[in-house]
Amino acid sequence: MSVHDFWTPFSAGPFFNALLLGFTLGAIWLLAALGLTIIYGTMGVINMAHGEFIMVGAYFTFLMQTEAGIPWLACLPLAFIGVAIIGWIVERFLIRYLYARPLDTLLATWGVSLVLIQGVRLIFGGEPQYVAVQPHELTQSAELGFIHIPWLRIFILGATLALAAGTWAILYKTIYGIRVRAVMQNKEMAAAFGINAQQVYGMTFAYGAGLAGIAGAMFGGLKTVFPDMGLGYIVEAFLVVVTGGGHLFGSIYSGAILGELNSVFSYFTNSTFARFVLFVLIVVFLRFYPQGLFPEAKARR
Amino acid sequence: MLLELREVNSFYGNTPILRNISFELEQGQCLAVLGRNGVGKTTLMRTIMGLTTRMTGTMSIAGHDASKMPTYLRSHAGLGYIPQGRGILGKFTVRENILLGTFARTDKQVGIPKMCLDLFPYLAENLDKRAGLLSGGQQQQLSIARALATDPKVLLLDEPTEGIQPNIVQEIEATLHRLNKEVGITMILTEQHIKVARELADKFIIMDIGRVVALGPIADLSDELIEEHLTL
Repeated sequence: MSVHDFWTPFSAGPFFNALLLGFTLGAIWLLAALGLTIIYGTMGVINMAHGEFIMVGAYFTFLMQTEAGIPWLACLPLAFIGVAIIGWIVERFLIRYLYARPLDTLLATWGVSLVLIQGVRLIFGGEPQYVAVQPHELTQSAELGFIHIPWLRIFILGATLALAAGTWAILYKTIYGIRVRAVMQNKEMAAAFGINAQQVYGMTFAYGAGLAGIAGAMFGGLKTVFPDMGLGYIVEAFLVVVTGGGHLFGSIYSGAILGELNSVFSYFTNSTFARFVLFVLIVVFLRFYPQGLFPEAKARR
Repeated sequence: MLLELREVNSFYGNTPILRNISFELEQGQCLAVLGRNGVGKTTLMRTIMGLTTRMTGTMSIAGHDASKMPTYLRSHAGLGYIPQGRGILGKFTVRENILLGTFARTDKQVGIPKMCLDLFPYLAENLDKRAGLLSGGQQQQLSIARALATDPKVLLLDEPTEGIQPNIVQEIEATLHRLNKEVGITMILTEQHIKVARELADKFIIMDIGRVVALGPIADLSDELIEEHLTL
């Protein structure tokens, strides 16, 4: 392979298109990482089953469509509720007993992920399933001069920003958010002032799982649905969380930056090599900034 | 009886820290908990709030058994806690810290109670300041304001004057005096300064190595007792 085959020369139109695609890719990664960020930032729990919550959300959507004929857009909130309930159950009967033992939570949530993967494989089999995206226009691409972007990815970008904004509003503009942030800062003092930290944790975990569910409903339309699909999202999701520093704003910025870098490298080389360069960059970055892009909030905790 | 402890033992892990603590408190009284450093005064406060690993024996608040209550329910039951080190949430604004107190109210009243702002004009003028930026004395005022926002039956004050400059100590003392004698809020107060305890308290207990070694009305706090249990 000559260098010429490997290296795509710069050309303004396609490059600009790649920049826009980078934002949609960053949005996909951020969407996968949102729930993870909330659960890690609030509870300090690293949820290894997050990818599987996404997978369950996708299967849930598939089931809603094939069994009940519910249109895709209506499946999104339903997937949120469905997976949130599963998350609440996991917190209530497993995570709750492991808060003092972070390493064990890692193992336990990994166990949950295995159970979910095998459970889904038993019920639905291993072959890929498809989620039908409606309205049909969303499966087409937006064409404007040199711009060529699938409408679905634009939809996901918008939905991700809306979910991030909604999460921010809940955390910073509501009484419930004050409770969550109080527990984050000082669990004992929160309890001493009437906050049931146990309940806050349960609701937060359910909310984070619900975000994974809604992500799964959208990713199901983007690609195929199969039991191992969570793996394809969880790596990038963890990268976004770690690079961002483990809180909402950090994840938003790091999602945008990582998606953009990946897209630009993909444009000049190919997607495999781009992933390689991106991972190396993240390793080097974390070597010098182990707390991530915005360490301030974590350092004080 | 507003608050009653009967034969309470308290543990961190499996280690007993407090043994056989009994006392009672009537509405409107102020109890001073005295003793040298490290004898368990703070642990007593944390035990009353349910913040130790576990306790045995019985404790009741206004006639309701609170022995098995988790911490957040004890605050609903009427305990307002001003911990050692003040326990201010530094990333919250002054306003958010006081609002935190209102979560323990049972009357569902939201918003900052007027009394908090009347007592502490500095806080009233700096509601949107980050609490972490306040000085030690201001944080202590905030801690008291936050506990008052819970509409407490009993205020637990753990070393309220510790590490605070002398002129502010007097201010805080005057505030506590007013809260106890004029507003009628019942108090438990751990204190290093005997003088402060004598001015504020109606009764006292003296602790040593996790036990109560003397108790009685404040008039009985003799120099001999102080000599025996409190001087170094």
